[in-house]
Amino acid sequence: MKPTKEELIDIIYECLGEVNEQLPKDQQIQKSPDASLVGRAGGLDSLGFVNFIALIEEKCAYKYGIDLSLMDTALREDGALENVGRFADSLFHQLKKTPL
Amino acid sequence: MRGLLISDFNIENLSSYLRKEPNAPAIDSVITSYGEVFQTLLDDTAACWSERPDFVVVWTRPEAVLEAFGKLLDCCPVNEKDLNAQVDTFSAALRQASKRTRALFVPTWVIPPFHQTHGLLDLSPTCGVARALMQINMRLLETLERVPAVYPLWTEKWIQLAGSIAFNERLWYLGKIRFSNDVFKAAARDLKAALRGVGGQAKKVIILDLDDVLWGGTVGETGLHGISLGGHDPAGEAFVDFQRNLKALSRRGILLAIVSKNEESVATEAIANHPEMVLKLDDFAGWRINWKDKAANIVDLMSELNLGLDSAVFIDDNPVERARAREALLQLFVPEWPSDKRFYSQSLLSLDCFDRPSLTDEDRQRTRMSAVDRERKESKLQLGNLEDWLSTLKTIIRVEELNQTNLPRAAQLLNKTNQMNLSTRRMSEADFHTWAREKNRRAWTFRVSDKFGDSGLTGILSIELNGSQARIVDFVLSCRVMGRKIEEAMLSVAIDCARSTGVKEVYANYCQTPKNKPCYAFLRQSGLTCQDGNTFVWDATQPYPLHGAVHLACEDARHIEKRPVGCESV
Repeated sequence: MKPTKEELIDIIYECLGEVNEQLPKDQQIQKSPDASLVGRAGGLDSLGFVNFIALIEEKCAYKYGIDLSLMDTALREDGALENVGRFADSLFHQLKKTPL
Repeated sequence: MRGLLISDFNIENLSSYLRKEPNAPAIDSVITSYGEVFQTLLDDTAACWSERPDFVVVWTRPEAVLEAFGKLLDCCPVNEKDLNAQVDTFSAALRQASKRTRALFVPTWVIPPFHQTHGLLDLSPTCGVARALMQINMRLLETLERVPAVYPLWTEKWIQLAGSIAFNERLWYLGKIRFSNDVFKAAARDLKAALRGVGGQAKKVIILDLDDVLWGGTVGETGLHGISLGGHDPAGEAFVDFQRNLKALSRRGILLAIVSKNEESVATEAIANHPEMVLKLDDFAGWRINWKDKAANIVDLMSELNLGLDSAVFIDDNPVERARAREALLQLFVPEWPSDKRFYSQSLLSLDCFDRPSLTDEDRQRTRMSAVDRERKESKLQLGNLEDWLSTLKTIIRVEELNQTNLPRAAQLLNKTNQMNLSTRRMSEADFHTWAREKNRRAWTFRVSDKFGDSGLTGILSIELNGSQARIVDFVLSCRVMGRKIEEAMLSVAIDCARSTGVKEVYANYCQTPKNKPCYAFLRQSGLTCQDGNTFVWDATQPYPLHGAVHLACEDARHIEKRPVGCESV
C-alpha cells in the first residue's frame, strides 16, 4: 500500500527531526509546510540534504516497501525543494508513479 | 575541546553528533579532506596540526588504507606478509601522529556483511576476508599496545547497536558517508566517554539502594530468607547477575557503597548471611543504612570516602528517591532505572561513565584498599591521639623516579586527583613523560604502605630547577592517604633534591580550583612561608624535617639526604 499525503508529511517531519539532531538550534528546519528546505531562503546544507534524502528513501522502503532514488528525480522538478509542503507534493506524485 | 577527525570517508556526521551530544566535554571538530589519511598523519606541517588538537580520531576503511586488503575483497590472492607489512606502515603513521595530540582514537576496521558472503571460504587461511579482517585488527592492536596516547575503539559494538542498517549504501553513494547515523551517534557517545576517562572524569563510586536493587522485596519485613535472590526465579536470577556485574566493576576499580533506608543490623545480616549474596560486606567501601534522608546520607558517605559528589553514580529503584537525589545533589549522576529487574544488568553495563584509559594494579585492589581504609579509620577512632595513631601505623613510603612502568598509574593519578593537587595539571602519559625528561626537571612517584596493607602508588611530585631556585610543579596525593604525614615526606624529598643541586629557595605556587582547598590548607600549616597568598617558600639552606612516624625508602637515593629516620636505598 502506498502512503497517503498525510502519512508522507509525517515521514518528512520524522526525517527532519533526525536531521535536526545534528544541527545547531538556529539552523534547524521547522516541521511546517512553509519551512524552507534548501535554497537562498535558508534550510539544509549539502550534507544535511544528503542525510535527509537518504532518510526519506530509507523510511519509504522500510514502511511501504517502495524503492526510491530521489536524487535522480527530486532535484529535477522546479521548486520541489523550495519548502516542505512543495517537497511533500512532489514526493507524493513521484510515489504515485512508482510501482510497488 | 578541539578534535581533529581524519578519515577516508565523509565523517561530517560524526562531527555534528560530537558537537550536539549533550554530555561533556563540549567538542568542536576540524575535519581533514577525506582520502588524505596518510598524508595528514605523516605531515606534521599540515595546517590541521598548526593548533595542537586535544584529540584525534583516525577512522578508516581497511580496503582504503591497506591495498592488500582491497585486493582480497576483489578475490585476488594476497600474501599475508604484505598485509601485515601494510598494517605496520599504517600503525607507524598513527604512532607518529600520536605525538601531536593528547589522545588519538582509532576505531577498529569493519567491513559490510555483504563482503562476507563466501560461506565456508570467509574464514579460509588463503582468501578468507573475515579471517583477514580479524588478523589485521589484531595486528593493529598489537602494534599499538602500550603506545602512549593511542586508544583503539571497538567499532563492531557501534555496528551491532545500529543493527542491519549500520552500513548505509544510500549515504555511501549519495555522500561517501560509510555508516548510518546510528553508528555515528554511538561513536560520539563512546568518544565522549573515552575523553572523560582520559581526562580523569570517570565515575569512581556506585552508591546502591538495597531493597529491590540488590535483592527483591523488603528485607526489613520479610527477613533475609524472604527476599528474592537467586534460586529458580527470573527476578532472583536477575538480582544475582546484577550483583555479579557490580562485583566485576569493582574489580575494575569502581567502589561500591550503600545508601538505604533500612535497619542497619537487618540489612548487614542479609548481606553477610544470605547464601546467594554475591557481594559481601568487604565489597563495599562504606554504607549509610538508616532512616535519614538519602541525599544527606550520600553527602556524608562521599565525605567519608574523600571523594567529590561528581564522582558518584546513585542507583535506586524508587523514582521519588531518584528525583530527590537529583534535585538536592546536582553533581551526582542518577541514571534512570528500569522497573523490570531483568534489565538491571543491561542498564548497569550500558552506563558509559566508568570508561578509563588503563587498568592499574591500584584499580584492581581499590575495593580491598577501601576495606583497609575503613579498618584504619576505626583504629584512629580507638587511638584518639593523632601522634600515637601515626606511630602505630608503621608507614613506609617508597619513592621512585618516574619511569615507563609507573607512568600509566602516575598519569592516571595526575589526571583525576583534585583535592591534594597543587597545580591540577592534566596531561597525557606521553606529555607528562616528555615534560619530566627535560634536564632541569625531576618527577617521582610515591607508594604508601602500612601495617594495614598497601595503598599502592598514591603520590606524584615533580620539580623544576632554575639556578638558585626550584619550583614544585606537581604535588599530587590521593585522598586515600592524606593526613598521614605523606605530604611532609613528599616536601622533604623535593627539598632534599633541590639542596643537592645547590638551590637556595624552593617554592610552590598554589593554583586554586574549586576542589583543591585541602592542598592549600596543608601548605598553610606545612612550615613553608606564605609570600603573597598563593606562593609558599622554603629556605633550602635548611632540610625539611621528615616526620618520625614515616619511613622513606628511595629507589634512587642519589639526591636525597640521609637522615636518622629518613631515606634508605632499596
